Amino acid sequence: MPFQSLNFFAASNVLGGLTRKHITLFTGCPLPRDRFTTSVQGARILNKKEMAVRQASLGGVDVDLETKTNVEKLKRGIAEFYDESSGIWEDIWGDHMHHGFYDPNSTVSLSDHRAAQVRMIEEALKFASVPEDPMKKPKSIVDVGCGIGGSSQYLARKYGTECTGITLSPVQAERARALAAAQGLENKVSFEVADALNQPFPDGKFDLVWSMESGEHMPEKAKFVNELARVAAPGARIIIVTWCHRNLSSSEQSLNPDEKKLLDKICDAYYLPTWCSTDDYVKLLQPLSLQDIKAADWSEYVAPFWPAVIRSALTWKGITSLILSGWKTIKGAMVMPLMMKGYKKGLIKFAIITCRKPE
Amino acid sequence: MRLLTHNMLSSNIKGVTNGFPLRIEVEKVVEKSVDFNPDFLKNMFAKIEYKALVEASRIMGYAELPDHAEPSMLESDDFLRKFHHALMELHLEEGTLVCPETGRRFPVNKGVPNMLLHEDEV
Repeated sequence: MPFQSLNFFAASNVLGGLTRKHITLFTGCPLPRDRFTTSVQGARILNKKEMAVRQASLGGVDVDLETKTNVEKLKRGIAEFYDESSGIWEDIWGDHMHHGFYDPNSTVSLSDHRAAQVRMIEEALKFASVPEDPMKKPKSIVDVGCGIGGSSQYLARKYGTECTGITLSPVQAERARALAAAQGLENKVSFEVADALNQPFPDGKFDLVWSMESGEHMPEKAKFVNELARVAAPGARIIIVTWCHRNLSSSEQSLNPDEKKLLDKICDAYYLPTWCSTDDYVKLLQPLSLQDIKAADWSEYVAPFWPAVIRSALTWKGITSLILSGWKTIKGAMVMPLMMKGYKKGLIKFAIITCRKPE
Repeated sequence: MRLLTHNMLSSNIKGVTNGFPLRIEVEKVVEKSVDFNPDFLKNMFAKIEYKALVEASRIMGYAELPDHAEPSMLESDDFLRKFHHALMELHLEEGTLVCPETGRRFPVNKGVPNMLLHEDEV
């Protein structure tokens, strides 16, 4: 209806127009700016022993103290954001905290979104050619940045095998465990509070290494990618589905100032470090002796998602839940129109990057 | 936390070369009944460190698992059931996992281990 559409766009534009200054004035608390560099490091996957030796020899000066402190702040921010926001998301959207996969230019109703989220998982597995044959299918799976365990449950059920999920948020881990138990999957899925940059597993443990929309939170992309490769068993598939910025052209050193400004606002609200491009991920994977490195831009397949999330937030249930949740969640809701703007400008890309560890 | 999970966790503190297996300190163990699935168990047997499982199950109060195991023992229903019980039905609800090299303690609350490292441990 026209009147509802007008309200929707008006609300979106007002929300999107809010700046850090407005938020700072409104809340009286300044938002931290965090800057994280991404760099291409190393020529091989380092196993645990090598990492220990390397760290010892470098005297721990990989990362300077200011950056280390910022990283700690970021991790705490991420944990707190999800501690606060998981409940409301689950209430309205269910246990999958990721984009749905849609046919381009399709019109979707609210009930289609859950199916689209499941389709996203299936399309990602297909893209990575994960075998379904009983002899070759994954026998152990790690869900890196598992949220409340939506993917873990799905993958464990699909392959009939065990899956373990890691998250920085104790609230999410506990909720994930309860949800899995309620589905009778307690014996197949387990969850730990752990850091994707320092996964608490020995080398080569998992046949499928799954990172569904968690990569954008990782401050040290090289370390993140190295850990994914380290815990992957020989023959394992690694699947990364994540938010990236557009690839830079050969003449560009960085994004332009307006683009950086837009991403900064999103970073503040969602506890994201500096973004990288899909090309950057490929460059990080290339030196690690991994095979079949593939990447794709799936932005056109997720287009209906943010408008749908905004619509759900603007319902009576959405608004009352937001008010009851907390400032972090509200801030997160406020930048949703900026995500739409980013996608529309071709700045934000929904990327999939997959590869295989050699046998 | 089941012992299947314990069998895949290790301490990655900076400088530690062998953080597996984590020593278990028990505060509360709960036995939970889990459907017996022989195929699943046979798949898992190849992937786990059996010795660590035996030690862990003893600490959790279950002493029936034989010290050593060969794949051929998977044909024995008796062994499979003991293996199943140790791997899947003993849950550490509250307790601590301890790094074998540094003694660093990782808490387990409501069955969820917290393996986050401090700034100076990475």
